[in-house]
Amino acid sequence: MKGLLFRCIMAFTFVLVAFSCSEEQDFNQFDDLSITPTVASSILLVESDEDFINTVSTFGAFYSQTFNFDPFNEQFVAERLLEGVILYEIENTTSKQLNFSVEFLSEQGDPLAIDTFTIEPDPAPLVTLEVAYGPGGRNIDILRNTGAIRVTAQNLGDNTSTSSSPDPKVILRSAGDFLFRLK
Amino acid sequence: MRLKSFFFLTAICGVVSLCAQNKQLLYDFYEIPQSLMVNPGVKTSEKWHAGIPGISGLSFQAASSGVTVNDLFANDGIDFTTKVRERVVDGMSRRDDFSVTNQIEVFNIGFRNRNRPDDYYSLGMYVETDVIVYWPKDLAILAFEGNGGANLGRSFDLGDLNLRGEMINVFHFGVNRKISNALWIGGRAKIYSSIFQFQSKGNSGSFTTTRGQDNIYRTSIAADMQLQTSGVEGFLDVLDEDTSGTGGDLADLFRKRALFGGNLGLGFDAGFSYQLNPQTTITGSILDVGFVYNSKDIMNYTLRGSASNEGLTVFLPEDVTSLNNDLWQDLVDEIEEAVPFEENESGYVSFRPVKAYGSVRYDFGQAESTFSKDCGCAVAVQESRNSDLYRNSVGGQLFMMKRPRGVQAALTGFYQRRFGRTLALKTTYTVDKYSLTNIGLGLNLQAGPINFYIMGDNLLAYRNVADSHYASLQFGFNIISWNDN
Repeated sequence: MKGLLFRCIMAFTFVLVAFSCSEEQDFNQFDDLSITPTVASSILLVESDEDFINTVSTFGAFYSQTFNFDPFNEQFVAERLLEGVILYEIENTTSKQLNFSVEFLSEQGDPLAIDTFTIEPDPAPLVTLEVAYGPGGRNIDILRNTGAIRVTAQNLGDNTSTSSSPDPKVILRSAGDFLFRLK
Repeated sequence: MRLKSFFFLTAICGVVSLCAQNKQLLYDFYEIPQSLMVNPGVKTSEKWHAGIPGISGLSFQAASSGVTVNDLFANDGIDFTTKVRERVVDGMSRRDDFSVTNQIEVFNIGFRNRNRPDDYYSLGMYVETDVIVYWPKDLAILAFEGNGGANLGRSFDLGDLNLRGEMINVFHFGVNRKISNALWIGGRAKIYSSIFQFQSKGNSGSFTTTRGQDNIYRTSIAADMQLQTSGVEGFLDVLDEDTSGTGGDLADLFRKRALFGGNLGLGFDAGFSYQLNPQTTITGSILDVGFVYNSKDIMNYTLRGSASNEGLTVFLPEDVTSLNNDLWQDLVDEIEEAVPFEENESGYVSFRPVKAYGSVRYDFGQAESTFSKDCGCAVAVQESRNSDLYRNSVGGQLFMMKRPRGVQAALTGFYQRRFGRTLALKTTYTVDKYSLTNIGLGLNLQAGPINFYIMGDNLLAYRNVADSHYASLQFGFNIISWNDN
């Protein structure tokens, strides 16, 4: 009986071993896996109506503000950020020529990069701008080292005229598409 | 991070051992005592049995309904990222799963009541691990491709996250009773001693990035998600603190949890076998109707709420007096407040994955017409023919199992051939979500009092094991007596 038991176990094992095989596998391929998602997000919106621009008597900047902005400073993000594109859209239906500047500042307040736009009075076309960072564009370290953004809006025209457009205003929109390497 | 490590380890275990819990080869294979574990109402004829401790019943099942190891790791010269994108990220659906089950019987004994020979009692203990992870398709696409580019406007379903896993020690006691020459019924009470458990199910919500109303993009999240864990933190603490590398503390904790030191629960199995006529039998069973109340070592994580944002916004003249330069941090805080990621230690009830079997069997071929007086199997001695020993059986089985995303079913056709009392073979053909070509083979050998069985599933896949969606192996040793020896 013991012999029969042994023979049966051996036979079953032999059948499995004899008929089981596997194509060649290369598990090192996992090292080649590349996961690079694109993260899209709005960044900043500045909107002002024409009445406000007219009420600011100071010549030049009718708005200037510095915001702390450090999402790319965090180690997890900074290490994985590959490239990015910052999109701007400026829409002006006021009667004035306007100028916007967006400065990227380091944590110490040093300017790293600046984007400026001069927008014609109404009727002005929609101004769009794409600024690339990374290969073929600005140095990606600018984003990594950015700790703040300073936005300045200047009125290059008068402060009495009024546009004939309904609800005249100027809108600066901005967003980014950023490529990260997760693996 | 510790939690990530835990799930990584669990996933690795899953891949090593991946699950369907269907034991179609063992079911109604009544020559094997362990068939009582899948139908407490199976026909029993032995006087007593004792499983050899630790090796009386070992079963390992692994399954992946979507991708196979070969699909990804075959040395075929195709770029690995392309394979992952086409075969996993795009190729798998949210109903696909990776799963693993293994069961290790610590001991299993059974004996017939001397005063009521129609009753057969069985008891034992086994450790079971069961993990199922549904493919979180939308979350995987979000991680692989992001919310930008072609995915603008796409709503990512956060409900795609669905997983469940546990390791549990089960103490059981069952009674099998022959009601008549045609009917056997049985029941089994179970006490569950949970070693660890985790589950994330019933999640809902979405993550969407669309063209904004004011700014260029509007990102919205609405989430109602949770991950419940019990017993996990204790193991993570031990792993962190055990610098000796001996694993002694881990073993102690495992032992403590397995022996009623963790979360406890109750459950039962029930089943029957009914002979419609001497050659036709129908059977049915329901297993693991039970729960564990998780109240110790709990750590739950929730993400609930909704928020939308279009970045930093400055509206003039309304915001001209605001000199706050922390708008970005305010925005982050606002979102975290609206959709908080929180932890709690509330107890919860986890239900066992209920399983049900049904079968119809037709016995044919020459039946044994003589019966050994030494048999001692009082249940059959009055019969003129021992119907247990029809040489051939053919039939069909249905298996159903409650899974987080509904009932998982398998349909099996089988043929069984007996060579006296010594040897029995059973072959099955099973169709389920993992395979349409699952042919299995089981062998039961009775060498004197020594009983050995071994069963392997999806044998055709052995031509290229790495390309298999499903693999299962179970085997064990018992000592069986049909007489007073």
